[in-house]
Amino acid sequence: MKISFAKAALPTEGALAVGILEGRVLTATAGQIDHKTGGLIARALAASRFEGKKDQTLLLLAPAGLTVQRLLLIGLGKPDSVDGLAAEAYGGTAVAQLQAAGDQLLTIAVDPIGGSPLAPAEFAAHAAAGARLRSYRFDKYRTKEKKEDKPSLKKVVLSLDESGEAKRRFARLDGIIDGVFMTRDLASEPANVIFPTSLAEQAKTLAEQGVDVEVLGEKQMRKLGMGALLGVGQGSARESQLVVMRWMGAEDQDAVPVAFVGKGVTFDSGGISIKPAGGMEDMKWDMGGSAVVIGLMKALALRNAKVNAVGIIGLVENMPSGTAQRPGDVVTTMSGQTVEVINTDAEGRLVLADAMWYTQDRFKPQVMIDLATLTGAIIISLGDHYAGLFCNDDGLADKLVAAGKGVGELLWRMPIDDPYDKQLKSDIADMKNVGGREGGSITAAMFLKRFVKDTKWAHLDIAGVTWAKKDGAVTPKGATAFGVRLLDRLVADNYEQK
Amino acid sequence: MLKISFVAAPSRAEGLAVGLRPGGALPDLGRAAATALLLGRTLARRHSFKGEEGDVLPVLTADHWLVLVGLGPIEQQNSRRLRRVGGGLFAELATSGIAKLDVAFGLDPLEAAELAYGMLLRAWRPAARYRSKADPDQVWSLSKIAIVSPDPSLSQRRLDRLAAVAAGAAYARDLVVAPGNELTPQSFIDRLDRLTRQGISLDVLDAATHGLRLLQAVGQGSAVPPRLALLHWRGAGKTERPLVFVGKGITFDTGGIDIKPRADMEEMKGDMAGAAAVAGALYALALRRAPVNAVGVLALAENMPSGQATRPGDVVASYAGTTVEIIDTDAEGRLVLADALAYAAAKYRPRAMVDLATLTGAVEVALGRHRAGLFTADDQLAERLMAAGEAEDELLWRLPLTDAYDDALKSLAADLRNCDWEHGPDALHAARFLQHFVPDGVAWAHLDIAGLSEAEEDGPLAAEGPTGFGVRLLDRLAEDLAAHPWSKGAGVPSV
Repeated sequence: MKISFAKAALPTEGALAVGILEGRVLTATAGQIDHKTGGLIARALAASRFEGKKDQTLLLLAPAGLTVQRLLLIGLGKPDSVDGLAAEAYGGTAVAQLQAAGDQLLTIAVDPIGGSPLAPAEFAAHAAAGARLRSYRFDKYRTKEKKEDKPSLKKVVLSLDESGEAKRRFARLDGIIDGVFMTRDLASEPANVIFPTSLAEQAKTLAEQGVDVEVLGEKQMRKLGMGALLGVGQGSARESQLVVMRWMGAEDQDAVPVAFVGKGVTFDSGGISIKPAGGMEDMKWDMGGSAVVIGLMKALALRNAKVNAVGIIGLVENMPSGTAQRPGDVVTTMSGQTVEVINTDAEGRLVLADAMWYTQDRFKPQVMIDLATLTGAIIISLGDHYAGLFCNDDGLADKLVAAGKGVGELLWRMPIDDPYDKQLKSDIADMKNVGGREGGSITAAMFLKRFVKDTKWAHLDIAGVTWAKKDGAVTPKGATAFGVRLLDRLVADNYEQK
Repeated sequence: MLKISFVAAPSRAEGLAVGLRPGGALPDLGRAAATALLLGRTLARRHSFKGEEGDVLPVLTADHWLVLVGLGPIEQQNSRRLRRVGGGLFAELATSGIAKLDVAFGLDPLEAAELAYGMLLRAWRPAARYRSKADPDQVWSLSKIAIVSPDPSLSQRRLDRLAAVAAGAAYARDLVVAPGNELTPQSFIDRLDRLTRQGISLDVLDAATHGLRLLQAVGQGSAVPPRLALLHWRGAGKTERPLVFVGKGITFDTGGIDIKPRADMEEMKGDMAGAAAVAGALYALALRRAPVNAVGVLALAENMPSGQATRPGDVVASYAGTTVEIIDTDAEGRLVLADALAYAAAKYRPRAMVDLATLTGAVEVALGRHRAGLFTADDQLAERLMAAGEAEDELLWRLPLTDAYDDALKSLAADLRNCDWEHGPDALHAARFLQHFVPDGVAWAHLDIAGLSEAEEDGPLAAEGPTGFGVRLLDRLAEDLAAHPWSKGAGVPSV
């Protein structure tokens, strides 16, 4: 699907989407159509329950007096609520409704909205971003899809007077979306295709964008003492990997970097503490955190972010086998601390423990943010609307929450108080890897905290938000890439040279 | 029964407790205790006693017990820590054989009272009548504690105030520990006579005849009918709008027709801990003659399977009129609270309304046993509750009250269903369910105390068992509100 920007003009073919404000207030293009057709829109509004509220749509087929095939009215809500997210939803809704309707061309009208905080060019850029984000499909493995189920849409044109400016602004968002799509692809790929070495290969493709990529194999990790990460991968026939991605975009090459660490369990069977069969296929996306870090690095590089950023991902496959780690095994982490592995299915924290230690040891970052599909408990705590945020620095937490609100990827802060740490006491080692059912996400975070030096650190538990069970405004059902846009925004707002 | 007094100087009891701090700085105790203190310091060195907060080491000297107590660093000392030290000291010596103890820590009069308060809170145990004969090793030997204070009468006055709250907490714990064959909705009401004797007025409503149909639906499987108990404490002027506390009081929760698995089901005798906390808080307010108007609303029912019980799928019109499809009879707490909240909001015009409930297992998964879940749309109420919790060691953590999960509560047959079978955030669903029954404009907060009403291990202020969680918090909220009235514009937002 190709996205372009053109001077405002009513199209003569394909589909046309126009906005209506709450209270049935017509935007300029809607007014123009209404005038030209002798009151088509007014009649349609009078004959329907469409009021222009957010999320409302009204589709008119073969609209009388126009040559377009379809006219889609989309509710924008109240003018003062038309922000970037509303613009994205506008574009996303248009694509969702018309992607497989039969038309090849979709024109999305963008009009100035009095009282909106957005200028038309910015509105158009976000609407285009929403359109592209919502158009995502992972269909490479469908060999027999019926024609009518395939997307018909080939071209989306945003029509507005400031088309040149809109195009420039969209270019930046377009790069971020490239990152988002890469993340979605990686999370969607099955585990016989994406495993530690093949995921590392995927990360290496970022070299094309100027990202420096280094891959450590098991031998090197053993030398570094990463006993926790290696223990998780030892049951698999696939070799574990640690990937280091560096984007040095700051003018000062020596500027202290920001660091992102991702959990990359390419398939999590649970290991010897094997999971129940129902739903186990979802465990192909237990590398969601690492996919976000890869997509984020790509986004930062594509939009040429003026920041030094490192992305470190620990890639393992957690399998039961004759060589697998057993419950009760004690492993020594790179930090020197020992862990009694009570449950081999609490493996993400073991991978992160070594990856985070390595990150701090080597890069001494100004902040370190890890992402992981870490616990089922976070889904029972917060559902699929918020990711859990655990943070040892109030300032960083506030920045993350604000960035999340800005892009519609919401975080909810959870506690990391010392009393929870007690639940990790082991009878024979420095700690055990599970703290029980109660406060399960908190004790997982407390475990990670033991591997944080004097670093400003945040942990995002994204288990509930990585895979959507139903379509959202700009996210089709499936892999969401939750985190890419959030962390890109965090960097843009706080860590880039202006 | 533990008796605590304040004295100007230690008498010569069989035990003397002295406080030590890391680094070994000695408090000025005057001549009377100076020798003991020096001896204590010598002994502390010998026994590598560090003086960390909570350390207790009894040493038998030539003629009496010298008890070394760690007070922690002076710069960290505050009321909360002193309470913990007091509670810990009592727990350590309760069955030691020592009967009378002098405590000379060099505290000021108010600090001495806080230390005593901690002892009072810790000195609770289930009524002796539950055992036919006492285990002699478990009988408390320690019965008299004299705490040295530079102004004993000031310390005593302060303790009188705090002891009211300790009595409220003890009362709540008594209720929580009471087994289901002893504590039914009716016997819960009978036991409220303790409150009415202190000037609290009590109204009892029959659920069926007052349109409290959700409460009725939950209780109808039991042979003992459900009741709504209304407790009124009028400590301020007639025109002052009351603080309203609402408590879930399922005196036993079998789950009903959706019966629970048998393991640990006996713990469900404690599913009335919210109501117990509310009753305990009202008791405390009355005992200390608090200058506030407060109402306690107890939604009392027993959830039993029987031929009359509510079935999964039953649709019931609530007190507020909203209809509810009861898809899980074991999600009953939110049903009784829904009617109680709607009734209280309509009847009392609350300044603020706070409900407490052992509501969901999900909140235990989310927050474990160190913090209760706080749900409110009112930021000011949230802040006050969080602060009260911090001050009283009854910690809260705010969780989302959001319409994002409204799909989970959609029913094909009624306005709402009472839960979602999916493996989702049930504590959030429950809070949002309750919000439907609170009129807009009422400052309301919901505390899910499922993880906190009972402790799995001994702590400094409560032994393993019922904690009375919420009594101190609500008392502190009432006190805070009397001292710093609600600012304008509070209680507005709702999602």
